[in-house]
This record gives sequence, structure tokens and C-alpha cells, in this order.
Amino acid sequence: MAKESFDKEIQFLRLLALTGGGYDRQQFAGRLGISVHTFDKTVRKLREISGDADFADLFRYGYADSAEPVLLFLYRAKSMKESESRRLPLILTALKGTPQTAAELLDACCERLPLDAAMPDEKTVRSDLRYLEEIGVVRREPGGRPYRYVLNNDLTECLSQKELVDLYEFVDIMANTQIPSVQGYLLRDNLKKALKSTVPEHEWDDGLLEPFSYKYHYDARILDEAHLYTLLRTIHLRKRISFQYFSPKNRKSYSAKETNPLFGRETEVRRETTLPLKVVYDHQYGRWYLIGAAAKGRFVKFRMEGMIDIAEDQEAPEEYFALKKQQLNERMRYSWLIDTGDTVTVRAKFYRPRGQADFIAERVRLQGQWGEIVEENEEFFIYEIQVNGVTEIRPWLRGFGSSCEVLAPADLRQSFIDEWKEIGDYYE
Amino acid sequence: MNNPFEKIFNYQLSSRLEETGVYTLTSQERSWLKSMLEHPAALEALEPRTIAKLQECVLDEEMSNLLDGLEQKAGSLETQIVHPLLSPIRRIMRNRQGMTIQCRTKKGKLNDPQPGIPYKLEYSMVKREWYLHWYNSSTRSILHTRLCHILSVEQSRRSRTYYEEQMTRAQKLFEAPRHEAVVEVIRIFNAELTRILHAFSCFDKRVEYDEEERTYRIHLTFTDSEGQFVLTKLRFLGKRVRVVEGRYLKYRMRETARKALALYGVEAEEAAGTANNEETKIPG
Repeated sequence: MAKESFDKEIQFLRLLALTGGGYDRQQFAGRLGISVHTFDKTVRKLREISGDADFADLFRYGYADSAEPVLLFLYRAKSMKESESRRLPLILTALKGTPQTAAELLDACCERLPLDAAMPDEKTVRSDLRYLEEIGVVRREPGGRPYRYVLNNDLTECLSQKELVDLYEFVDIMANTQIPSVQGYLLRDNLKKALKSTVPEHEWDDGLLEPFSYKYHYDARILDEAHLYTLLRTIHLRKRISFQYFSPKNRKSYSAKETNPLFGRETEVRRETTLPLKVVYDHQYGRWYLIGAAAKGRFVKFRMEGMIDIAEDQEAPEEYFALKKQQLNERMRYSWLIDTGDTVTVRAKFYRPRGQADFIAERVRLQGQWGEIVEENEEFFIYEIQVNGVTEIRPWLRGFGSSCEVLAPADLRQSFIDEWKEIGDYYE
Repeated sequence: MNNPFEKIFNYQLSSRLEETGVYTLTSQERSWLKSMLEHPAALEALEPRTIAKLQECVLDEEMSNLLDGLEQKAGSLETQIVHPLLSPIRRIMRNRQGMTIQCRTKKGKLNDPQPGIPYKLEYSMVKREWYLHWYNSSTRSILHTRLCHILSVEQSRRSRTYYEEQMTRAQKLFEAPRHEAVVEVIRIFNAELTRILHAFSCFDKRVEYDEEERTYRIHLTFTDSEGQFVLTKLRFLGKRVRVVEGRYLKYRMRETARKALALYGVEAEEAAGTANNEETKIPG
């Protein structure tokens, strides 16, 4: 069976998260490069998983400062046979507390499954156990055959209730403020259940579950974690990869596979190949990049959201990988984000606010990366930074509005003058 | 291997399990926790005894060095992830109690201790800092205070009725009025749409596409305190976008352009006065 891919769902959810669900079906389908019929099917599937009747509402009012990651349900989309989704809970429940052998588990299943359900055999139960052991959910008890298995929940069971609350809040904070987050959010969901099981029902207070809120989050960032581990793994193994790439500048972000004759129209997509060197997360926009070495050693950059259908290729020699990685690190030393162009010195004058706390200096200190304040007095300070090209730092400087005057380089200064004129004209 | 699409996370399975009160923990969750326990914030959030217990449980997880291949850029300096006041304030909130709080002003002046009710603890991903939203019972007003400006917080016993009453008042005040604005993507920059949408993705918004004019319009909804950050984002994007609805934002953008040009000595005779700092603080 082909490996289940979630490319279509990911592209759709990103579009939905970015647009707040503002497009109609036709527009969504057009942008995804799929038919309206396929679009409807995708939506039906996702709606079922998210358990939410009005799907687009997820991205509407009030979600922005919540600690609950709206897009996490994507990671619950892996499909499963109905029989399996009935059998596994029985096995897991039986394994809670008392170690069991495969034969005992088989009895437990047969006892509790409805009469009309297909009864598993011991081989099936053994393969379930193998899977559960492999992902670390159950543990084999020491001792010989027949092996006994038990649920591996030591992590929560060794903690007092107070400690569990502390851990829950710690995981909540780390999943929300650090990357990667997906495993943290999944753990958070499980700790929630652990917490519920320690508190008697009449004492339960939902206030325990949403201890904090987080403002100005980039929700869509967790969608790219779908490919993150695949890419990190190839970096780790020094493997080249090939993939389909949709440049974000292309209006269509996804095209259905050619093998499906219905959607054979979008065939212009090229396969790229590269040796992955580094994944970069950009906090400024909440986006992910892959930087790699192309065939002739040139550095190439891809937005991770445009990469689908990633396949591993040959391994690169260690020396070559090490050399390219080192070269890349040198070239990126002065990258505001990922620019590997020529280094320039940018000088800007920041005016301090009058009669209030100096939030301008504070913001420059917080966001100004490795730049330095080279001159200051009560009215202003001068900030200087060596940076690869001016493109990536420009929006940040512009964000300060009339509190920032670019001094050098001269062409950047001139471009600020031109741009402010243009913006001024918008509002005349 | 870390595969976030694992069968065990399947929604049908997890909802069936939930009915039985059984939950499962995978290796990948434990190894994520293992890497987070190495972060200095762990020491501030958890008791050493708890950390020791947890470390024991994640010992066998192969700490993947996969994350070596990941780099973060253009982030704010991470000055604070866990603050020592989080835990005592959370305790007061869980107990549904009042508090006596003493704060310093932004300029450093020390205020007298005030009676109040803690409402919400919020972390700003922009400022990388914690804020307490609280209701001041004596002035009957709501405040947003950075935790680093709080000198002390102590629980003060209040009856449940008193608490509920105060909380209801607070809630009304915290339901801030919301403003709306429409931002248009200048058509020649349509190719940069995703970048622009990403910049606005932390706001409540809806995007509309006008097929005839091939124009994207972003309908934003925001509170007063978010307004400043909307402005920062608008300036950040520069000439790519234009506010088409929203008088205040339009006015502020016009002023920014005028004052910025004055800095460069352009049309200085029109832009009377010296460079004036019209930007106010970005919200928390």
C-alpha cells in the first residue's frame, strides 16, 4: 500500500489558517490545484477528525490568543482500520496496571468485542504488541517466555498530583514557546488526561487545563513539522533527497498526482534534488526553510511549505557534507534570515520616545540580533550591524516607522525615502 | 524515529481511549520532554526532585541529535520563558482567591500595594515576556502588568461570592471592544501573498479575493491593545499593503510617512516640527 501522505490536507489547512476561511470552495480548490469534488472530500475527512461542525470557525474570532493549537488535529489523521480502533483500546485498557501475556490479551479482546465483530487471532495481538512496544507505549516485563507486557506510563505515575500540575504547566509553556512543538502538544493532551484521572470528578475544574495564554502566535508553523523530521533525518544521515517543489510565488500550492487521470492537468512541476544541510525557522514570519547544496555545490534554499513528496536518495560522502556545512555556516554568519549574499554594514539612527519608558531601545535590544549600539545620547542612539544584503533586515527597520532613520548604506537610505513617499501617497 | 503521524495518535482511537480513562505516552513525547528538560527554564519551572524523577523515566529515550540540523533566525532574545511569579499567581487563580499586589511603574516608581483579582497570565511571543491581566478592586479598573514589574503578590482570602462578583466585573471590562480594518494587497505584489498573509497570521482575520480586480483584501479584527502591533506589521510590510478601511490606521500610516520623510529632510517645510516620536509602545 502506498504510504499515506497528508500533503493535500496540509496545504489546505495552511491556506485555511492564513486566510481565515475567506475563500469559497471554487477558489480554495483552484488554489490547491484540485477539483471541487476532491476539495469537498478533503474537508469532510478533516471535519470528521477535528470533530468540529463548523470548520472555518476554528480560525475565527478568539483563537489568536489561545494555548490550544487549532491545527494539531492534523496529526491525528493517520488512518486506521475500524477493527483496529476497537481492538487497541481493549488491549491498552487491559495492560493498565497488570502485566499480561499475548494469550491473556487475546482472551480479553474476545470477551469484550461485540459478537458481530471480527475476532482477532493471537498473531494479530502479537503484532499489535510489537507495534506498541516499538513506539514506546508498552514495555515488556523482565523474565522469560511467555512475555508479559504492561502500559509504560511511569512518567506520569511516578509524580504526585502537585508535580503533575507543575509538569503540565511546564509542557504547556515549552510546547507553546519553543520549536519543535508537535510532540509537546501531544504530550500536553496526554498529561491533561493524566491530570483528570487524579482529580475526583466533583472537584474537577476546567481552569486547570488552560493555565496560560499566548499572544501573537503563528499557528501554521506546526504544519511544517510534518516534514521536519524527515528532513532532519536526511541531514543526519547525509542523504540527498528529491522532491516536488511549488514555489510560494506560484499561485497553486498543490497539484494532484498525475497517476490520477482526473487531475492530470497540472503536470508542470519539476522534481528538485539537493543535499540537505540545515533547516531554518524564521521567527519573523513563522516560516521554515531548507537549505541544501545543489549538484554543483551551490547553496539552494527552499520554503518547506512548498516541498512535497520527499524521497531519500544516495548518501553523500561525509567529508563533502562537512565541507558544505562549514561553508554554509560561514556564509550564514551574517544572515538576518537566510541571505548568503555579500555583507554590508547597516547604520540606523533610532529616536527615543519622549516622556516615557524607552521601549524603542528595548525593542532594538530584543530583536536586533547581533547588531550593536555604537553611539548614544538622551535623544537617540545609533545601531550598527553587519548583515548579508539589506533585503531581510529592511522590513524590521521599516517596522519602527518614524522612530528609525537609516543612515547607511546610501542606497538603502534612498529606498526608504522613496518608499515612505509612496506609502504617504496611498493615504493622500 | 520521530514520526508525528503515528497510528496511536489517531482520533478515533484516542476518543475511544478517553472513555476508558486510559492514556498512552510514546517514546517521541518522552524524547521531546528530555530535550526540554535540558533547557534552563526547566530548573525554574520544576522542583529538582521532580526533574530527577522525570529524568529517570526518559533515561532510555535515545536523545536524538536530529535537532542539531535545526537553526532559528530573527527571533527575539529569549529573556524569559518561566517567571518565578507564575507559580504563586497560578495558585491564587486555582484557589479562586483575591490578591494583594505591589507593582512598579514603567518608569520605575513604586506603587502602594493594591487589592485585586488575577484574571489571566499571558505570554507575548513578540516581547518574549509574561504579563498578568488583573482587576484592581479599589480603582475598579483592569491592568496589564509585566511580571518583571511586580514586586510581590500575596493571596488574600475572599468569599466565593465576593470573588465571583469581582470576576464578573473584570470579565466585562476585559471584553475589549474590537475594531475592524481592511487591508488591501497592492496588486503588483500579489506574488508575495503568502509572505503577507504570514505576517498577519497572528491576528484574527478573513481574506477576500476579488476575482474581477484580482485583488486580495484582508479583513482584520483587533482590540485597542493589538492596534499598535497591527501598525507595526503594516509598516513592516511597507508599500505592499494599503489600509482601505479603518480611519485611525489610515491616519497613523499617513503620519508615519510624513514624520519619516521629515527625518530625511524631505518635504520638511510641510512636516512642521522636528522628528517627533509618534510611535507608541507595542503591546504585550
